[in-house]
Amino acid sequence: MIEMQDVWKEYGNGIAALSGVSVQIKQGDFCFVVGPSGAGKSTFIKLMYREERPTKGHIFVGGFNIERLRERQIPIMRRHIGVVFQDYKLLPKMTVAENIAFALEVIEASRRTINRRVAEVLDLVGLVGKGKMLPQELSGGEQQRVGVARALVNKPSVIIADEPTGNLDPENSWAILKLFERVNDQGTTIVMATHNRELVNACRKRVIAIEHGQIARDEERGEYGYED
Amino acid sequence: MKIRTAGRHTREGFKNLFRNGWMTFASISAVAVTLLILGIAIILTLNIQNLSTNIENQLQINAYVSDSVPATALKGLEQELFALQGVRSIKFISKAQALLAMKKQLQQNSNLLDGLGNPLPNEFVIQAIDPSQTVSLAQAVKATPGIQNVQYGQSYINKFLAVISAVRDAAFIFIIVLLVMGVFLISNTIKITIFTRRREIEIMKLVGATDGFIRGPFFVEGTLMGIVGALVPALILNELYQWLVTSVTPFPPFSFLPLAFVMQRTVIVLILCGVFMGLWGSIVSVRRFLRV
Repeated sequence: MIEMQDVWKEYGNGIAALSGVSVQIKQGDFCFVVGPSGAGKSTFIKLMYREERPTKGHIFVGGFNIERLRERQIPIMRRHIGVVFQDYKLLPKMTVAENIAFALEVIEASRRTINRRVAEVLDLVGLVGKGKMLPQELSGGEQQRVGVARALVNKPSVIIADEPTGNLDPENSWAILKLFERVNDQGTTIVMATHNRELVNACRKRVIAIEHGQIARDEERGEYGYED
Repeated sequence: MKIRTAGRHTREGFKNLFRNGWMTFASISAVAVTLLILGIAIILTLNIQNLSTNIENQLQINAYVSDSVPATALKGLEQELFALQGVRSIKFISKAQALLAMKKQLQQNSNLLDGLGNPLPNEFVIQAIDPSQTVSLAQAVKATPGIQNVQYGQSYINKFLAVISAVRDAAFIFIIVLLVMGVFLISNTIKITIFTRRREIEIMKLVGATDGFIRGPFFVEGTLMGIVGALVPALILNELYQWLVTSVTPFPPFSFLPLAFVMQRTVIVLILCGVFMGLWGSIVSVRRFLRV
């Protein structure tokens, strides 16, 4: 499903964010990516949806060879994965329903399909009746659920989440995690970078720990393992 | 692109006008102010053009016939003059008609002419097809046997034509300068508008939207802003010009062009410029933020 082979990433300022990372994530895996701040977690995640390009190495996500993608193929690749961001990245002037529908409009889905799918995911994330509200009218937890709904609406085979609970209180963090577990139960691969010790330790899922740009641990039923 | 996607872009373009209320207002205002000034320049230019045409049409050559030419030969001379290259019209004024006209002009002093007989010659009044050719035509007329002398305001014609040409050139340069200033003003306004929406564009790209899909509503929005930005000055200019035509009586050779004539041309130019400005602004500005 996702494979990195000896991936290096150096930024323009000479800082090496990743140094020779190799990892394989299978279809249906639920995988936490942990590590101290500045260890390279975000770069690791951003490489998967081609917000960053590797300096060296190969990355395959759902059949796409990321570093060889042409400019016009990038949007097509992104439609096959759902991405959830720490800052939600919702379109502020669109309603909740319009934000979710946007991911279907880009694939030119019919209005009927859009309406049906939007209603389904709103139900799934527990936001029935809030479709016509604007993002700023919702709480942080609700906004993140909209972010998750948008990531799910295309029925992607993989969800990539970069600190999705970073701005949320424990209750909402748990709600998001439960959502991911439900989706994962249906076969969707989940890759989630997080600083949330409680969630990682309670779930006992696969944990990839990144330190100094390298994989320090990769455990099937791992723990958070850091003090921060 | 599917029809429903084109429909979606149009809908979103309309919605964006309202979603971005103040920025839309700023952009439309920039377009409207520029086009208002452009519209005034167009109306002025059209009327200056009209004035110069009016004056040019009044340029004429007075050709005085030698008294040695018998009355029977006058018809032949008229035909000969009319056959010269560049003659638009020719009108004969007989000695008797000229005397009558002079007496009318002199009014109570007309008795001064008594006892002089008729000192005035027969005369042809000739107009050139192209007013700028008046001088050369006058020379050809003068060279015609039977013509004693010609009058055509030699130095006056050349100077006048030079002034008209300078006014036209100045108006043209004025319009170009205005357009450049307008494009600069609008591009800055649109840049600010889009800059505030760069995050929006970034999010759209991360969700899998192609560049074309992102541009679609921006194009619609830009075009609509251009049209509205053109209609506002068109309405203002229509009212102003109507007021001018009805409340100011110009003296000849100046005359106002009819309202419909002026506004048809002005509105078409304004809308085309508005749409161009809106579309161009969208294309240039969105392109800057599409690299995500």
